[in-house]
Amino acid sequence: MKRLIVALACLAMAACTTTNVKTSTQTLSVPKAGARVLLVQPDVQLSVLTIAGIPEPKADWTNAARDNLRSQIQSSLAAGNHPVSNVKPDEAMEGKVGQLLRLHEAVGLSVLMFNYSGFSLPTKPRTGPFDWTLGEGAQALGQTYNADYALFVYARGSYSSAGRKVAMVGAALLGVGIAPGSQQAFASLVDLKTGQIVWFNMATAGPEADMRSPEGSKALVAALLKGAPL
Amino acid sequence: MRLRNVLLAASAWAVAVTPVFAEPRPPHSRPVLSSDEGGIWDLLDRAELDTRNSAELDKDPVLNAYVQGVVCKVAGDYCADLRVYLLDRPYLNAITAPNGYVEVWSGLMLRAETESELAFVLGHEITHFTENHGIEQWRKARAQANVAMLASIVSGPLGLLAALGAAASLSAYSREDERQADREGLERAVAAGYDAGGGAAMWTWVIDEAKASDFKKVREGPARASIFNTHPIDQERIATLTALAKGRPAGAGADKAVYRAVIRPHLASWLRDDLRRRDYGQSLYLIQRLSQLGTDMGVLNYFKGEAYRLRRGAGDDALAQAAYEAAVTQIDVPPEAFRELGNLYVRAGDKARARTAFESYLSRAPEAQDRWLVETSLKTLEGT
Repeated sequence: MKRLIVALACLAMAACTTTNVKTSTQTLSVPKAGARVLLVQPDVQLSVLTIAGIPEPKADWTNAARDNLRSQIQSSLAAGNHPVSNVKPDEAMEGKVGQLLRLHEAVGLSVLMFNYSGFSLPTKPRTGPFDWTLGEGAQALGQTYNADYALFVYARGSYSSAGRKVAMVGAALLGVGIAPGSQQAFASLVDLKTGQIVWFNMATAGPEADMRSPEGSKALVAALLKGAPL
Repeated sequence: MRLRNVLLAASAWAVAVTPVFAEPRPPHSRPVLSSDEGGIWDLLDRAELDTRNSAELDKDPVLNAYVQGVVCKVAGDYCADLRVYLLDRPYLNAITAPNGYVEVWSGLMLRAETESELAFVLGHEITHFTENHGIEQWRKARAQANVAMLASIVSGPLGLLAALGAAASLSAYSREDERQADREGLERAVAAGYDAGGGAAMWTWVIDEAKASDFKKVREGPARASIFNTHPIDQERIATLTALAKGRPAGAGADKAVYRAVIRPHLASWLRDDLRRRDYGQSLYLIQRLSQLGTDMGVLNYFKGEAYRLRRGAGDDALAQAAYEAAVTQIDVPPEAFRELGNLYVRAGDKARARTAFESYLSRAPEAQDRWLVETSLKTLEGT
């Protein structure tokens, strides 16, 4: 009985999208009304889990999710009275701008590593202030795209293949558990005057937030940008 | 329960031994986006974008046009499908990814002695592309992993047997891919008019260079075309290529002097990179081999001296000095040879020759960043 309850509880937890927000306590320079936001094309990579659980890249899912997330974020931002411009990293990988986009990827993944996983840096205790920055060099991004803030979204995830779903059922019959796919995303809002990450959120998608569909993306973006100062 | 195990093992075995072929690709084809191949292409396209901004990318337009030209000759109808990126990496390697992304490393350009050798390696890589070996390997590995997982669920010897069968068929398969790439790569190069001897020559000195390594593991292990290549180069592959080349009329691209002229502008920087591998036995073997042509002796002797200077073994000072002394008599000597010679003379107490060497360095490299350092050495020499 106790086991069943635990199992049900786990199912209940997995069944909805969960998020975890971090906000800069250094410079609470949240966007004022009318602040211009640069939306960096979401960096998405989705894959299908083979029977054995090897992630195999799925370009159609990746492209669909990238487009869905971008349009959902765009409409979410439109409601907040912020002029939005777009940049595609594929077309801006050269020079200082390209370096800043890659720098943000490195910093964003470091935030995930040191604020959301079990690891922490001696210089950034988990209980301490949320203090991550791209440095003042980020101004180059603001000047090039005429923006005050930049919003980055990064999503990775996998979904079970039909074969794996069958294997999950079959293995369960033999008493063996096989993990299904999972999807995570983070959003990061950067002040382009200071380079500071002023707001950061990480979301684990539930089944209702399948970013491959417009409705699922809408749910994921709603969870991801919930409480964002935009 | 027993019956279920047998059935599961049997189905696992069936997956393991069913050949999972990827068809040879027609030119100018793109996979369907939703396919496994489409997903891999998409990932590789993004990796290619990163390479375009890589600091390792050699953008010399002359060299790029040259290598792209050789690729096109060997690739024939597939020319437009292949995009060549020259990378400054001192290991012998070239990679062709399933999406047509081609990496050619400077370590390969430096080691090839003729265009026909380069053409053979590129032909080998292009065959991996045209035969879609990368996708084939992925599908095979995927099937093997599936079987291994099913086998891990199904306990007992039958499950283990199925997993072993899958592992054996995968490695046999990739060895066959390498042989096919050797064979058809050579045929491609020959069809493009290149001399057939390039293949066997190339792999022969790859083995010899491995034997010359400072490291026991490299000397005694099987030779590999690169640190990442899991498929060893052995005598069997050389014998096959030699047999294939036998009796064919001499082809083009076998002139060492012509090829050397192409890579000459990069020779010094590639040798400098090669020394960073810190395998001086291999570097010295390579320099010795490149010296047989008799040209570029200033540069080659200078880097021979550098190899001895950096190795710092017993007697290496004398060997370095001899090499630098041979370098400074040549018209193409790098100015640094004089500086290093000066340092060695200082150590030997030969002040007069040290002074001459340092002065030669400064007169040949008046803008040298370390000019102040050498001037200080000269002052110290005067003061004593």
